[in-house]
Amino acid sequence: MIAPPPTLTSFMRKRGEWVSAFVFLLPLLFTLAIAFFYAFVRTVYFSFTDYNLFRVSQFVGLKNYLALFRDSYFILGLVHSLVYAAIVTASQTFLALLLAVVVNQKIRGLTFFRAAYYVPSIASSVAITTIFIWLVNRRGTVNWLLGLVVQYWPLMITAFGIAALVQVLQVLWERRHGLPVKALDPVLLATSLLVGAVSTVILGRVGLIRSNPEVEVLIPWLTTRQTFLGIPLPLLSIMMLNIWTTTPTMMILFLAGLQDIPQELYEVADIDGATPWQKLRYVTVPALRPVMFLVITLGLIGTIQMFDQAAITAGIAPLESVITLAYYVFWAVFGTGTLPKVGMASAAALVLAMLTLIVVLLQRKVGFSERGWYS
Amino acid sequence: MRKFLVVFSLIAVAALGVAQETVTIRLAGYSGDTPLMQDVLSRFVNGVIPGVQVVWEPITEDYLAFVLRTLSAGTAPDIIYVDLYWAKTVVETGLIQPLDEFMAASPVISREDLIPVLADAFTFDGKLYAISKDFNSLVIFYNKDMFDAMGVPYPDAGDTWATFLDKIARVSNPPEWYGASINPDAARFLPFAFAAGMPFLKDDGTAPFDLPAAKIAADWYTSFNRAGIAATSADIGVGWPGAAFIAEKAAVCIEGGWLIPPIRNENPTLNFGATFLPTVWQGGPRGNYLFTVGYGMPVNPPSGRPDLVFKVIEVLTSPEVQEYILESGHAIPSRKALLDSPFFQQLDPFALATKTVFEATGLPGTVPFTFGDVGGGNYMGVVNEALTLIMQGEATVDEAMDEAATKLNEKLGL
Repeated sequence: MIAPPPTLTSFMRKRGEWVSAFVFLLPLLFTLAIAFFYAFVRTVYFSFTDYNLFRVSQFVGLKNYLALFRDSYFILGLVHSLVYAAIVTASQTFLALLLAVVVNQKIRGLTFFRAAYYVPSIASSVAITTIFIWLVNRRGTVNWLLGLVVQYWPLMITAFGIAALVQVLQVLWERRHGLPVKALDPVLLATSLLVGAVSTVILGRVGLIRSNPEVEVLIPWLTTRQTFLGIPLPLLSIMMLNIWTTTPTMMILFLAGLQDIPQELYEVADIDGATPWQKLRYVTVPALRPVMFLVITLGLIGTIQMFDQAAITAGIAPLESVITLAYYVFWAVFGTGTLPKVGMASAAALVLAMLTLIVVLLQRKVGFSERGWYS
Repeated sequence: MRKFLVVFSLIAVAALGVAQETVTIRLAGYSGDTPLMQDVLSRFVNGVIPGVQVVWEPITEDYLAFVLRTLSAGTAPDIIYVDLYWAKTVVETGLIQPLDEFMAASPVISREDLIPVLADAFTFDGKLYAISKDFNSLVIFYNKDMFDAMGVPYPDAGDTWATFLDKIARVSNPPEWYGASINPDAARFLPFAFAAGMPFLKDDGTAPFDLPAAKIAADWYTSFNRAGIAATSADIGVGWPGAAFIAEKAAVCIEGGWLIPPIRNENPTLNFGATFLPTVWQGGPRGNYLFTVGYGMPVNPPSGRPDLVFKVIEVLTSPEVQEYILESGHAIPSRKALLDSPFFQQLDPFALATKTVFEATGLPGTVPFTFGDVGGGNYMGVVNEALTLIMQGEATVDEAMDEAATKLNEKLGL
């Protein structure tokens, strides 16, 4: 069937709709034009000049870009940003999915757990980072807890070892008498733990096992250049912090996605005799692909551009242990105490923007895309 | 009715005229100065200088970043703080104006009224760009009760590096208190390095940190923490060494007069004293830093009334205001005449400490806290890193200081 030719009235109506839409979009377009497009064009222009906020700028060609790749701090920032993005995005996505699956169950106190998990996300990033600095200072809570483990590990190992042994014996005993108990039956487990604890106390008193109360753990989490698997310890600390604060936000996204998955799919899987892991692997994860794409993309953009935690910890940690690309941009402008190197900073900001775009596109190409499981 | 309207209009026009005569002048400073500055403005400026209303704008962000950003955008306030630490960088922008002409016409303040070293500190190419409001230098603050408890003599002006180290070792009593709270902080370390003979830069313009003098000073400065007789403020669980001293977790700290108001507010019964930094050897050289902040004016102040802006600066640096600030224990005034203030004759620990800080600035070896074209961030950043590594045993003195020199040379493009 051939569509009727457009009449003047329909054309006018369509045009009217177009104008209305444009009027509604205008405030956003205006903001975008000023805050993004204009700023972007200026940044591109500055990146080819030696502008310092005050001097009339001279065109310097690619000098800033070439200087960037000769600057050891820039190279470090680049490597740190990529490593940070990869590890934090992967960890927070995995943990958020697990948490979402857990809080999606019908368990007692669910609202409390959902709220408790979400608290780190709503606190201010600066406040959280400041608290985190206290937690990880040399005599902070993290080292104190690690110290307890180091001091009492012989007791802990003994207690858990005995408890495990008693549990195995109890389960075997019950099954031998025809009772179908689970390996981790709660009543038996409580008894085993009690026996483990009491025996350890007795062994400790007798002097057969000893703790090391004089050992003190003083790991300088932030004020050090030590590395772990090639990653500076301060950066690793910031990674832990960020995973802790961002995971809950991603959990909420997954939770929304989980509630959209048709229950029938799980029922079918149950009929087929699927294990919980198989249901997660073959039902939940494929059905969550669009949410997964969103979570990973937001994660990558947020982590590659990480600035605030680096800026706060840079006051304590060696710069070369925490510098990221976004912090490099700030540091080049205001960090040196000399006139701002806006040209260099602009070039670095553009490299950061390009890098973000490339990483997100690459992820979309080889990782999770926004296409749903049904397509 | 007509009469009423005419009278009303006249009153309205008169009111408008009065309102228009009031010029608003914006003064932006460190947020920590807020209570003092609001007090000073309400006592000495607002309602006192006719037609002027000064608005205090506390700045919580990095102050240099604020100044550079607002000067560049043309939104700088009428009066800015100019810290000697970065004064040259701001003067180089060409966007703050010399105050010599205003000063020449002023009946209240002239260059001769200022302590010469403070006037010289803000003079670039023969022009004065800021009027110093106060100044400070470093002294040793010590807790008398802790020294008494351990039977150790108080630190004094006759101390050398060796005797000072010995006293700190003997007074240290962890975990009750450490002998000192010392941070890997270039602003505390560099005066000792200069005293040991380290130049700011070598003759060829390269970094001096690999020189023996720098290494000897770094070895001594970090030896307190390495020996466990001093701890950083972070290790003690407070924000800065002064807080460790106020909390009586450290017997000694190296700070300036800025420590006095917090002691008065947070631990007013603290039994403390203050003395000069130790000399390298008996009768030998002694280093120190002179810290000062002045009031400066942008080339085109937003009020459009540079004359009134200078008038406010005049009042803020007047003998009355400076005497008031001195007596409130906040800062040491920049006017020569006030050096004979009766306040300095008082015998309470706060006045005595203030006097010691003041006297320390006049000792030979005290240099202005400024980094010229090198940039304080560049210069101090590499030193801070080196001191951190040495204190934590992650590098030897030689390795860390050589690396600091290499890094600064890299930053200087050498």
